[in-house]
Amino acid sequence: MKSRTQHLREASHSWPQPDKQGDTAACLFCDTIHDLVDIQEGEAAYCKRCGNIIYQNRRASLVRATCFSISALIFMLVVQFLPFLTLNAAGLQRELTLINTTTSLMRTDAPILGASVLVFTILAPFFLICGMLYSTTPLLAGRCAPGAEYVVKWVYRAEPWNMVEVFLLGVLVSILKLAQVADVHINAGFWAYAGAMLCTAAAIAGIDRRELWDRLELANES
Amino acid sequence: MNPDHQKPIFKKAADRGLAGCRTCGLMSPMAKQSKCPRCHSRLYYRKPDSVENTLALVAGSIALFIPSHLLPMITVTEFGVAVDKTIIAGMTAFWLEGAYPIALVIFCASILIPILKVGALLWLCAAAKGLIHPSPGMLTKIYHITELLGRWSMIDIFVVGILVSLVQFGNYTSIVPGPGALAFGTVVMLTMFAAMNFDPRLLWDRLDDCNRRAHIGKFAKTFFSPKSK
Repeated sequence: MKSRTQHLREASHSWPQPDKQGDTAACLFCDTIHDLVDIQEGEAAYCKRCGNIIYQNRRASLVRATCFSISALIFMLVVQFLPFLTLNAAGLQRELTLINTTTSLMRTDAPILGASVLVFTILAPFFLICGMLYSTTPLLAGRCAPGAEYVVKWVYRAEPWNMVEVFLLGVLVSILKLAQVADVHINAGFWAYAGAMLCTAAAIAGIDRRELWDRLELANES
Repeated sequence: MNPDHQKPIFKKAADRGLAGCRTCGLMSPMAKQSKCPRCHSRLYYRKPDSVENTLALVAGSIALFIPSHLLPMITVTEFGVAVDKTIIAGMTAFWLEGAYPIALVIFCASILIPILKVGALLWLCAAAKGLIHPSPGMLTKIYHITELLGRWSMIDIFVVGILVSLVQFGNYTSIVPGPGALAFGTVVMLTMFAAMNFDPRLLWDRLDDCNRRAHIGKFAKTFFSPKSK
């Protein structure tokens, strides 16, 4: 008779996979073809030739991706209303919020730069978080949200354009730049944005691409 | 069959007529359809015209890199007197004031990383075209680093945005972005697109070509040289 733990371990051997899917996988970096193997939670399958990860089985992947996207969304919503920096100079006070960076660039005849900053710091992170949430939450109940395939496809394409961490370093550099001429303080917005960065990274890394697609396909069939 | 040939032979998906989807990982026979049945992305064995596209984007970024450092990044107006500041001027100011770490961060993000990135992409393209020996193990690592570091150059643009929005004290002091900022932002985006267009699988293809040639050469030597038994 099998004990309960054994049973659980077997159940978590791999994520549910559609039957008609081929039994091979190719490495994205060297195109070497591999037979699919079942891997346990927390393990990863590496390419025999170049050593890059082909796919990995994340622990509690769906729940993690959903929860971290929810917290990232809360952080991102909060960030919109909190100041990043407060600057005091000669009796004047100014505050920096996230959207200020975009609007002031737009106002000072740099609309292209303003638009790209808007995309990199607000739109791309929001799209990543909302897209993950939209596709993973119904999957918890075994359902596929309408159009989730397209959303997930564009989430992975938008990933490199999410520059939250770069903006945070930019804030630190400008503090050092301004510290000589004015009194600058870091405010709550900075920390909330840092939280959004960590939670977005955890949500995207929380579920393997292949697992997400397999689950979407299964949910679509049923 | 060939005891000399100790390395295992790796089969490629493309040799079996299969294309792995870049978006969802599903393997599909290339002959039947040109779109992935699962995620509807375009399917291909190797990214079409990958080296040519990468080289074109790299050429564009080299062309814009020079004006991005010659043109002013920001214009600071203090009591009606406007002073143009380039990236290098801002960096040297930090260095002369003794703020070495910050000067180094700016130097890395705005000068070193773009140059290294362009150099790395040119090297990768030369290897993918077979002009130099491909050492895919090392070059794949270089490709990873190139993809990872590219985005950090954007820091300059964000700093300009933050300074412009914070330092607006009417007639006392104000900062306005200059044309150098736009040029620099375009350099960063072009190099990011260039790195995305490069297909690292080409490096392994060239290595296989080399191995095949070496193998045929060895084969020919053992059979046709007079010294062989």
